[in-house]
This record gives sequence, structure tokens and C-alpha cells, in this order.
Amino acid sequence: MKNMRSVFVAAMLLALLSSCSSLGVKPWDRDILARKSMQLNTEPNLTAFHEHIYFSKEGSSGGRTYDGGGCGCN
Amino acid sequence: MQLKNKKIRRSLGLITANLFLATHGYADTLDGAADAPTTSAANTSGDQAFNALGTASIDSAVLFYKEASGRVRAIEPVSQVSVTGDNGNVFTAKFTYDSLTGASPNGAAPWTSVQTFTTPAKAVSTPGSTMTVTGASGGRTIVTLPGTTTQVAQYQTQPNQLPVDSGFIDKRYAFDLGYSAKLSDETTTSFGFAASTEHDYRSWSANTAISRNFDQNNTTVELGLNVEYDQSLPIFGTPTPLTQMNGSTKGPNRYKTVTSVNLGVTQVMTRRWLFQMNYNIGWNNGYQTDPYKIVSVVNPTTGAPQQYLYEARPDHRVRQSVYIANKVALGPTVADISFRYYHDSWGIKSITSDMSERVPLSQSWYIQPELHYYQQSAADFFHYYLLGGDPLPQYASADGRLGKFRARTWGLRVGYELSRHTDIYMMAEDYKQMADSQPQNAPGALQNENFFSGVHAKSFVLGFKYTFQLSDYSEW
Repeated sequence: MKNMRSVFVAAMLLALLSSCSSLGVKPWDRDILARKSMQLNTEPNLTAFHEHIYFSKEGSSGGRTYDGGGCGCN
Repeated sequence: MQLKNKKIRRSLGLITANLFLATHGYADTLDGAADAPTTSAANTSGDQAFNALGTASIDSAVLFYKEASGRVRAIEPVSQVSVTGDNGNVFTAKFTYDSLTGASPNGAAPWTSVQTFTTPAKAVSTPGSTMTVTGASGGRTIVTLPGTTTQVAQYQTQPNQLPVDSGFIDKRYAFDLGYSAKLSDETTTSFGFAASTEHDYRSWSANTAISRNFDQNNTTVELGLNVEYDQSLPIFGTPTPLTQMNGSTKGPNRYKTVTSVNLGVTQVMTRRWLFQMNYNIGWNNGYQTDPYKIVSVVNPTTGAPQQYLYEARPDHRVRQSVYIANKVALGPTVADISFRYYHDSWGIKSITSDMSERVPLSQSWYIQPELHYYQQSAADFFHYYLLGGDPLPQYASADGRLGKFRARTWGLRVGYELSRHTDIYMMAEDYKQMADSQPQNAPGALQNENFFSGVHAKSFVLGFKYTFQLSDYSEW
């Protein structure tokens, strides 16, 4: 739990840092970010297959999305 | 005049659309429309993005999955329809079918001689016949217990083999619905519903989230909630934990609830770097034991099995994870690097890392090699076996998924853009779990047995995505 808390605090600090004004781009500089390949989930079906396999075969779940699974495989 | 007006209208429309997309298109990916292609400025070979507003897409794929040593095989077709309105609201519907067959480890320790496992007989059958039942058991022989008229089902494991419950057949149907709506230029809300049913398990869940963009849409913060209700309907009933495995029909169905909260931040770091971080926490309450799994009680001197007990897991589990993802464009290629730290109240800690690099080969083709690494510690109540004569613990499971192991996947994705509206994608992967399979200080001949129950699986996916416009852009 203690470890988890420190990771969370570190992560939140990083998030705060990330909102510094030096980060980010102007609206007209989004050409690269707009590419299909730059989206966070380019192929949702492949992501879902991965999550289903790992959820069924490993002790962890969640992270990218919620930790539930909806199947009796774990 | 008419013509001139039309020209002006077309130009204004294009400019407005591009400006709108440049500022808002990216945010769409953060609130549930991540699958929808977004804006139109890029012109990298094979990787052009386009306007998702006023479009619909059908994304269908099928997964072929096979584990080594005759374990689980699965075929999973899935189809998703996504509609994005002119206002940026997104509706999605997804259907998944899952067909599973094969064998699954039952949790018992291997031993030097044949082991026989007894389960209830589902239906009255002729002695000596075999039956296959749905759910996580089957392929067994029906016998009448000596001196009684009671019929039970039995299956055997050969010497020095990992005991598996074979003849496992199941079908699962799942349906997901989602809707996200823009409340303002900065704020988006979403709602979803999911249902899944298989022979011995049913699940329903509902979720909602709200996200808000800040700093010229460079920062997006999202807060989400998911509630889930799961029903466990074991084919022979629910066994009493830590009682001896036997042929009697068991207790009533059980259920559990899961409440999960997700807090996410997505940040545009630079023109080439997108960063995301999530924290999620989930509270699982209710029946979480695997009704088909057992744990061996062995002789503390020789290691020989004395009895098999149904496993027992706590009814309460809190899961937490921190997930970090990065998308980094390096020239025409894009690297995807993510990391997860996970911890739960059962004592499992894990780290997960994923890396891939998408490399365009031509105007239409790309390849994407990928690597996945996973490592977990064991749950507090994980035991390969229990020692006869020792007091019974409150909880015990020999399920390898709760043990200590590591795993890796390597794979390759290939994508082909058949036309501006049609994409084909493929993925081939090799997933392998690894562990030190000799428990320390195992008694007697158990020291020579291999307890490892991890999987080595190969999978292949073929997918097809078609996107088309709903509105008439010729007006522009």
C-alpha cells in the first residue's frame, strides 16, 4: 500500500508538471498528433483481444481502463 | 452569384472544419472515440488521418487463439459499429462471440502415480459411458460408487503430469453499448453498458465518465465510474470452500459486485509526443473463488496426495493500478510505450510493459513489431499444495494465475490501407509464461515434480475496418 501511494503521488506530481505552460502545442501544430497512428488506441479490437487474454491468464487487470472483466475466465 | 456563394461556402466549410478538428479532434480520442480517425492535416505515407465527424465505421475482427499441450483453444469474432455525428457525439455498439474448448489445470499437484479426480455427474448416464458437459469440466467417465447407487464422474491424470480438467467447452456472448456527448467545447460526458453471458457465468456492467479539456486542449482530465454485477453459475453448483472434492451436487449460485473508479490525465507534451496517465481503483466484493479449482493436501513426508480440497479465496479484493502511456512520432514511425504498476489486497504486485513501433513501408502498408513483458508476485494465499496434519488456512488456492511468474509476448501487426475508407489489419503473437516451477522444500518425491501450469499460446487476428460518410459533404 505504501509503495502504491508513493507511485500515485509521483504520478500526480508528474501530471502537475505536465500542465506547465512550456508543454503542449498551438492548435495549428497538431498535424502529427492528428495522424491515425498517434491516437491512443489505434486498433480497439486488438486492444480488447489483448486485455481479454491477459485478464484470463494473469492475476492483474485494469490500468488502461477499468479492472472488471465480464467473463468467468478469471 | 449562386456559384460564388457555393464556392465561398465550401471554402469556409473546409477552413472551419480544419480549425475545429485541429483544436477538438484530438480531444475526441480521450472520451471514448479513440477508435475513430480524427483530423486531416497529416500526410505521412499510409497514415493519413481524416475527418471523423459525420462518419460511421464498421470494425470487425476474428481472433484465433491456441495454447500448447492441448490446453485452451478459442475463436473470438468481434464486430463494432461506431457512428460520429456532425456535433462530435459518438455512438458505439459492439458484439463479441467467444468459443472455447480444451483443458485447464485443476490446481492439484502432480504426482508419481495416476491420480483420479471425482466430480458430480451432471445427468444420469450409463456406467462406463463418457459425457461431455459444458463449462469448465467434461470428457470424463461416469462410475457408480462401490456399495451405493450414487453415480459420479471421474477423470484421471497420468504419473508426473500436471492435472488438468479436460473437455472444457464454453461459448460466450457479449454486447457493449457506448455513447459520448459533448456538453460544451471543453466538456464531454459518456455512458456505457455491457452484458456478457456464458454457460456458467453472467456479467452486467454500466459506466459513466466526464472529461474536460484545458490549456487549448493540450490537457484532458477524465473521471470515470464503472459498476459491475457478476453471477457465478457453476455447472455442478458452488462447492463449500476447503471441503473435500466429491461427487455430490453443490450449493446455490453466487455473485459479486465490482465498483471501479478511473482518473486519467492526457497531455500533449510536444508536437510529437502524447502522454497519458491513469490511476484506477476497484473494489471487488462477493464470490471470487474458482468453483472448479482444487488444492492438494499431501503427506508431509512422502509428498503423496492425501485429499483434494476445493479452493478458497477472500470475498473482498481491492485492486489499484497506475498506468502510463506514450505515443511518440519519430519521423514517419510511431513508438507506443506503456507501463503499468498494479497492486491488490490479495498481495499480488505486478509490473507490465508494452512497446511497439509502427513503421510505414509504403503508401498503403505498415508493420508494427511489438513486445510485452509482465511479472507478478504470488497472492498471499497461493500454495502449490497444503501439508497434511497442518491446520487448514482460511484461504488457499493453487491456481497458477495467482502464483509468481513472468510472461512475455512478441508479435507483429501488419496493416494495409485498401482504399481511403477500407483498412485490413493482421496480428500474429506468441505469449509465454515462465516461472521457477520447483517449490522450495517440497516433501518427498514432490521435489522432482514440475508444478508449472503456465501457458504458451499463439494467436492470430484478422480484421477489417470500413469507414463511410453519413452526411453529404458535396454541399461544401
